[in-house]
Amino acid sequence: MMEWIESVLHTTVQMGTVYLLASLGEIYAERSGILNLGLEGIMIMGAALSFIFTIAYGYFAAILMSIIVGVLMSLILAVMAVHMRLNQVVTGLALTMLGLGLSGFIAFPEIRKRILLALNPALPQEALMTQEAPKLPEISLPVLSNIPLIGESFFSHNVLVYFSYIAAPIMWYILFKTRFGLSLRSVGEDPATADSLGVNVYLVRYSATMVSGGFAGLAGAYLFIGFHPFWQEGLTAGKGFIALALVILSTWNPLRAILGAYLFGGVETIQFRLQLFGFGAQSPYFLAMLPYLITILTLIMISFENVRKRIGVPASLGIPYSREQD
Amino acid sequence: MSLKIRTKFGSIKIERRLTYPRHISILTTVLAILLSFAAVAVILTLMGINAFEAFAVMARAFIVPRLLFESVKQSIPICLSALGIAIAFKMNFWNIGAEGQIYMGMIAATGVVLLHVYYGAFNEYLLLPLMTISSFLLGGVWCLITSFLKSKLNVNEILTTLMLNYVAILIVDYLIHGPWRDPKGYGFPLSIAFPNYAKFIFVLDSPAYTGLLISILAAAAVFFVMKYTKIGFEINVVGHSLNVAKYAGINVSRVIMLGSFLSGGLAGIGGLSIVSGIIGRLRPRASPGYGYTAIIVAALAGLNPWLIVVASLFFGGLLTAGESLQASMNVPKAATQMIQAIIFLFILMGEFFKRYQIIFERGGNGS
Amino acid sequence: MEDLVVLRGIVKRFPGVVANDHVDFTLKRGEVHALLGENGAGKTTLMNVLYGLYKPNEGEIYVKNKRVHLKSPKDAIELGIGMVYQNFRLIESHTVLENIILGAKDLEFKIDFERHEEKIKRLAEVYGWKIDPRMKVWQLSAGEKQQVELLKILYRGADILILDEPTSVLTPQETRRLFKALRRMASEGKGIIFITHKLNEVMEVSDRVTVMRRGKVIITKNTAETSPVELANYMVGRPVILKIEKAESKPGAEIAKLIDLEALSDKGVLALRKVNLTIRKGEIVGIAGVSGNGQVELAEVMIGLRKATKGKVMIDGVDVTNKNVKEIIELGVAYIPPESTRWGIVKDLRIADNLFLKAYRYPPYSNKLLLNWKKIFEETEKLVKEFEIMTSSIFAKARSLSGGNLQRLILARELSGLIGGGAPKLIIAAYPTKGLDVGATEFVHKTLLRYRELGSGILFISEDLDEILMLSDRIAVMLEGRITGVLSREEANVEKIGLLMSKAVAQAR
Repeated sequence: MMEWIESVLHTTVQMGTVYLLASLGEIYAERSGILNLGLEGIMIMGAALSFIFTIAYGYFAAILMSIIVGVLMSLILAVMAVHMRLNQVVTGLALTMLGLGLSGFIAFPEIRKRILLALNPALPQEALMTQEAPKLPEISLPVLSNIPLIGESFFSHNVLVYFSYIAAPIMWYILFKTRFGLSLRSVGEDPATADSLGVNVYLVRYSATMVSGGFAGLAGAYLFIGFHPFWQEGLTAGKGFIALALVILSTWNPLRAILGAYLFGGVETIQFRLQLFGFGAQSPYFLAMLPYLITILTLIMISFENVRKRIGVPASLGIPYSREQD
Repeated sequence: MSLKIRTKFGSIKIERRLTYPRHISILTTVLAILLSFAAVAVILTLMGINAFEAFAVMARAFIVPRLLFESVKQSIPICLSALGIAIAFKMNFWNIGAEGQIYMGMIAATGVVLLHVYYGAFNEYLLLPLMTISSFLLGGVWCLITSFLKSKLNVNEILTTLMLNYVAILIVDYLIHGPWRDPKGYGFPLSIAFPNYAKFIFVLDSPAYTGLLISILAAAAVFFVMKYTKIGFEINVVGHSLNVAKYAGINVSRVIMLGSFLSGGLAGIGGLSIVSGIIGRLRPRASPGYGYTAIIVAALAGLNPWLIVVASLFFGGLLTAGESLQASMNVPKAATQMIQAIIFLFILMGEFFKRYQIIFERGGNGS
Repeated sequence: MEDLVVLRGIVKRFPGVVANDHVDFTLKRGEVHALLGENGAGKTTLMNVLYGLYKPNEGEIYVKNKRVHLKSPKDAIELGIGMVYQNFRLIESHTVLENIILGAKDLEFKIDFERHEEKIKRLAEVYGWKIDPRMKVWQLSAGEKQQVELLKILYRGADILILDEPTSVLTPQETRRLFKALRRMASEGKGIIFITHKLNEVMEVSDRVTVMRRGKVIITKNTAETSPVELANYMVGRPVILKIEKAESKPGAEIAKLIDLEALSDKGVLALRKVNLTIRKGEIVGIAGVSGNGQVELAEVMIGLRKATKGKVMIDGVDVTNKNVKEIIELGVAYIPPESTRWGIVKDLRIADNLFLKAYRYPPYSNKLLLNWKKIFEETEKLVKEFEIMTSSIFAKARSLSGGNLQRLILARELSGLIGGGAPKLIIAAYPTKGLDVGATEFVHKTLLRYRELGSGILFISEDLDEILMLSDRIAVMLEGRITGVLSREEANVEKIGLLMSKAVAQAR
């Protein structure tokens, strides 16, 4: 019984970490007023790059590159949304399509082979052809992982999961207890006021967007080498978009994001287990719909709560800012 | 925004334009397209693919008759969905769910056909009209769900329409692997082939011409509705300002729901055009992302119905070109998506240059 | 006295207009210097230049005897310049403390909330203000919000303060308090620039006054050496008639009645508390009071844009409580909304579209489904002439119209009887002359009086007591959602109204 609970919790954390990483970054972007609909595309690019770079060099390079690609891609969004004042919904979608297309392109066997050889000519043939990459090893933390029940569930994971554990409270702290966080939140609520007080609105929005990109890329890398290192088309299956919903669910608070992320991790764990038990043998498709339907459900529920408590979206979300009002 | 960069030789200033001359508009769009092709060429070359050869293969989609017909056929669902998306976007209702609405349209159309073939329902001649109505209805309802949630509970429509996309695709997966699988199909996940009178071939016996006619009729209908009807006027006002619409006594909820119903309905008919015009039956992944391409098309055409028809043809050609590219040069289909996205991004950036101009001023440092 | 600020030859151009035309201006240490002019004279633009928000096309800026080039407000703040806007630049959902310390130069990385709280409380005491730094801004009154704005700039060591129309949101009592604080600041050696268009305030609190008109400085004088009439003439450029011709009031039957009306504001707080009011045909009922005391909510409930939680609204004998906007419009109610460009006009639509924003759905301008554009354009041409809307074509977008012309458009739309013909039964006008120049204001006044003659009942909401006294037959004063008193024109004067505007506050304290 205990083992069963541990196993469920363990999988929940595993599945939830993708969402946690992606939404942590996006919370920063949206708190500054930028909606990053490119998350899905950035995530899959992160996955693709982590695939290629793990095989070519190793885990460290893979993680680094996935973060870099996330930052670069979100930089495109930042320039277009902040300086060019273009519509963020449309631009974000374009970015997602770019990511989906580009990742499919570079992961395609022939192309991937050429890239891998260019990066590391000494790779053996199997490495060039494989659809699979080695998975990030799980590290059981000493002492902590010996705690009954919680130990195995929470402290026996790979390094990216541990990173997410510390990232969430740190991001919460920065957001609410530091001057940078105050500036960020102010830009998101009222960029004109922040500007009039000398806050560099453009810089804040740029950095926040790049943070969301970096985290999304990292989430993609985690999804692949940290969770399920088998490349397939459409590997993200909307997780990037679900992360956007989670940001709303968490009311733009990094600590609440943990709850939301693990809630979804839990849903997917249940889906996975039911499938194992043959519940959806006839129609695995209905089970597969679960995450999406639950997303809609949570959005509805949070709307009720928001109306009640009058919790607000960052007031300037999605609205471009221009000092001279042109 | 006035951005000024001072250098030794003078300064570069970026400033809002006062007028938007036509020739700048066209020049920017053309330049954007050229630049995007240049970017694509760079990427292809980096990956070891001969860019010139690739472009030559792609160009065939616009020249070779057989491929041209394919291009036109593929443009139909794009065009219809884009018209629907244009209506939604005009109201600031971000319908990203055209893809799912297309799938629901396909389900409706196929359902009608199956009812007819298996249960003898409906007369032959009624079939296409019924399929059209049902795909419009089902696509419309699929979008209406999200607009209802938006109107009553302020639930973000971007996310709900996106989620419903995935759900719709899975519903088709279920149906086609289950109850709707053709028993004589050797186990392949396909529906029965549609009988001829359920296909889009009533103009010159060609799905391409038939489809083109439908596209143009649909564009004309959308144009007419937006310009001459009361609902069109209301959609316009709602899109510009919710507050002013309320002040004018317009029932904003009703407008958004009706508008989104029309939007989803058009996409639904787009789905019909796929099963009736392109494939001739239902199968999983029947739409290779037409609903998303349609968003690009609608945005690039500035929500103008006639430009949407033109842009759809271009993107239909692009898709066909991508297929040729895969067939003859073993370039993955994902490349097409990438190319679409690059064109999209460059043209979006072009929007910026239409609004702002760059001025070079001579003279050294200082004011 | 040292010159704190010297502006020399400032020119600032925007597309199509020269907002500042070779302006010279000086601010001395220890003085309160009023910057007087009508809307659009260029006062705010000039101050935005001084504050670093706008870069001047030509001219020089000297702060404390040093030539400066301001690249952004940050530079201005560093030089000790602080600006308080008319529309407060406060983040409503944040606390007082967070608003005050935002972007402060030596704000430490990890914010020491307690230390800042202490500092703020002590600073507020100096000027006689009681503020709780932990409160959220949206919970504060207008006067308190302004105190937060002032604390914001004082906290950063500002000794050059620019206040843009600071008294437009204050009660007379709060204005007194502000002026006391300003004189205290001046005596500390700070320099204060006070933008206003209110002559009496200039006389009361300033040492010197500079008058601007159409982008140019007309004159700078010591306040003691001038008078309101002289200043008004400088402001407008022609002798100003401060009174208007008005016929005897002949009110008819009751046309609107509010019974024990209650409603909530956007924040969920009671905005209207047991409001009782009658409006008769052919009379103008003015609603006086500082804005933000429920006036707009009152108008919105009457027109159907806001739900009443208790009580009744009767129009022409019909109970219209909580009916929707369309039904109320059809009963013959016209609404001139506040901030017309936000609530009443779609800038990117054509003049014709805007004129028919409400009437489009009725014959002969449309039938069941289709619009009759021919009829619409015909009628638009007529209305443009009748209401003297200056435009090159009825197809021009509304954004090309000036503020005055936009207001004419709204008057044309609401009053010309497009729906059902004839004058409206009830006209609700909320701040209809705000932001308009003298000519446009005159037009609005004349138009309202015309419809008063025609028998419409008019509810006229304004912050400008002179205007209210000029036009109204009866005056109701609103404070915190209640009507504190109703006076007839004969018995009303500024003192009595002022008292009603703050009576409850005085009692509460």
